[in-house]
Amino acid sequence: MAELRQIAIYGKGGIGKSTTTQNLTAGLVEHGKKVMVVGCDPKADSTRLLLGGLAQKTVLDTIRDEGEDIELDRIMREGYGGTRCVESGGPEPGVGCAGRGIITSINMLENLGAYTDDLDYVFYDVLGDVVCGGFAMPIREGKAKEIYIVASGEMMALYAANNIAKGIKRYAKTGGVRIGGIICNSRNVDRELDLLRAFAKELGTQLLYFVPRDNIVQRAEINKKTVIEYKPDSNQAKEYRNLAEAVINNTKFDIPTPMTQERLEEILFEFGLMDSADDYHI
Amino acid sequence: MALNLESSNVATRENRIGSITGYIGTLSDLANQSGCGTLKGCSRCFSQSSTCLSSCALGQLSAIRDVAIIHHGPAGCSVASAGAYYLDKVMAKKRGITNNTVYVGTDMNEKDTIFGSTEALGKIILEVNKRYSPKAIFVTSSCATGIIGEDIDSVVDEVREEIDVPIAAVHCEGFKSRIWATGFDISDHAVLSSIVQPPKQKRNTINFKNFYESARTEIIEIFKNFDLEPVFLYCNSSVEELSHISESLATTCICGTLGNYLGNGLEEKYGVPYVRTINPLGVAGFETWLREIGKVTDRSEKVEKYIEEQRAVYIPKIEEIKKELKGLKAVLGMGPGYTFEVSRVLNELGIEVVWALAWHYDKKYENGDVPPSMEYLLEHDVDFETSVADQQNYEVMNILNKYQPDLYLSRHPGSTVWAIKNGTPAVYVADEYMIFGYKHTLEFAQSVLDSIHNRSFEKNLARRVKLPYTDWWYQQNVDEFLENRR
Repeated sequence: MAELRQIAIYGKGGIGKSTTTQNLTAGLVEHGKKVMVVGCDPKADSTRLLLGGLAQKTVLDTIRDEGEDIELDRIMREGYGGTRCVESGGPEPGVGCAGRGIITSINMLENLGAYTDDLDYVFYDVLGDVVCGGFAMPIREGKAKEIYIVASGEMMALYAANNIAKGIKRYAKTGGVRIGGIICNSRNVDRELDLLRAFAKELGTQLLYFVPRDNIVQRAEINKKTVIEYKPDSNQAKEYRNLAEAVINNTKFDIPTPMTQERLEEILFEFGLMDSADDYHI
Repeated sequence: MALNLESSNVATRENRIGSITGYIGTLSDLANQSGCGTLKGCSRCFSQSSTCLSSCALGQLSAIRDVAIIHHGPAGCSVASAGAYYLDKVMAKKRGITNNTVYVGTDMNEKDTIFGSTEALGKIILEVNKRYSPKAIFVTSSCATGIIGEDIDSVVDEVREEIDVPIAAVHCEGFKSRIWATGFDISDHAVLSSIVQPPKQKRNTINFKNFYESARTEIIEIFKNFDLEPVFLYCNSSVEELSHISESLATTCICGTLGNYLGNGLEEKYGVPYVRTINPLGVAGFETWLREIGKVTDRSEKVEKYIEEQRAVYIPKIEEIKKELKGLKAVLGMGPGYTFEVSRVLNELGIEVVWALAWHYDKKYENGDVPPSMEYLLEHDVDFETSVADQQNYEVMNILNKYQPDLYLSRHPGSTVWAIKNGTPAVYVADEYMIFGYKHTLEFAQSVLDSIHNRSFEKNLARRVKLPYTDWWYQQNVDEFLENRR
């Protein structure tokens, strides 16, 4: 049995972390891998495509309603291809402390024995930016040691990715956390591939995979399915399978080297503009 | 600085009046730097102790009669409730009244921290109101509620319609300030914004902010001479009494640190003059203070008559005892409201202050002036080594060892015990009125004399106690652990 790989997926809010994670998971399942996906977002929508809808009661809601004396199957559902799906959940927007909630629910998963020996992968799909210590929980205390940042060629996505790299660097010193690469979820902006490669290099990591933009992803989402389940023969399904293989075969894990805001903007200037940049009209 | 009573949140002393907890120098340097704006507090890379400001705020509020404190936080944050409850009962008994103040902790747990617990808080407030019928309710925050941004203001606003007594949200997260006296301001702010009503008529009363009203009867008698009636705050105060303090002729206090926010607030909002003289400790303090009260209440003649009568009784006795005190050297460590006042009295009695420690220091009071006692000392050419140390006992011990004073004075009991273990006679200036007026100044002088006449207790104790400090520490400068010092 290969060693369990625990992977945290970070990235700017709305960049497609959950979509990418779930499609990647579907790709891994096709390779016969046993995967658990832990949604670390109060919105609790990290496992929707694997479960065919928001069919999951969150860990925190369960603890709140039923106390801490619960069985694992109360908070874990089986989704597409035998994936195990957990949603940490959290408070309503604007109240309480979602970060503390993630700490509590991950501890609960551990206490209930969710991390079984037959698992090959655990994914933590973490909300937007690493806003406080709670959202860094998956990369603290030896949980996820492998991080992928989902980004696109858009300025704010790269800015967020750079910021997240700062958090990873902090924990890399003590916890053995490493960045495995950037996954580009393409937005079709100017010279996106070149820009992402340059950005990843400057960040001391690699562009692990470039997922092209395809509207089939949107259609699959509306149908509450991963692309691999919705249209297994489509080109985009192939892309996600390739992404899964890239993750399986990845051996490049680095301590990131976050850059200054000035340097980030230089890279954007250098790679992020087409020669005919000024001809854009609405 | 204008007080904003519309907001329930009070800025910390550090932010509002430039207060500091770390400094070593001289009194004159401290005053000069305060005046020209260059004073910067130092932090310590080692701190032995600190006190939570919420216990200061809640101690003040819970001393008010028949109110409810609802402390929204984990159970441990309500640790001060036992002490507050005990004190309330003892102080009420002493006065011959009853105090049915309740102190309720909301026992916030992990779930409440994650999801917020404003709904439960609302229910708790209504239940407390129903069960105990308090005369006012203070809903107070803790560190946990502060960190998660629990919106206690909205909860208070929502239940206000259902409750027919004053209710206030009180923001007293312990981490807000290193200066526990910020808690005094927080309690004053809550009282000013929720209980005090605009004046309807003027009364012959003087607001007297103090801790435990131990000289109550005596001060009532003194003020009868001037046809004035003191209203002691907040210990044993009723909510009804507090609602009328805007109608008083003036506000005064026994401790500038304790009374400054309320005094300035009442003056700013309702035009009640705040007596800002040196405090009524020692002869000069008592007379200056009385004369100012006479001035603001238009009773100077009566005051002068009283002073003349009392001087005849006490001054010869005080002068007599001063002969025996002359030349003694003292170190003292107290809150800033007392440090410089007691230094002034010691100087008046002929005792030389070699080092004064203030547990914190307010660069400027709410009205922008340096504390009056400090100004007084400098005007009278008194200067001495001064430090600001928030009860850092190791610094006190270092100073006592270096200066070997005849006497150590403190208003905090733990501090005097350490001095005694060190072999230094110590006077515990426990009671806030211990040096008040002529009579207590004389008694204080006698206490000092008693303490130094028989030193066998200190000597014997010191011989048998091994203190934890090493010779290395005694050889260091006092400011060894102050960062960016001097």
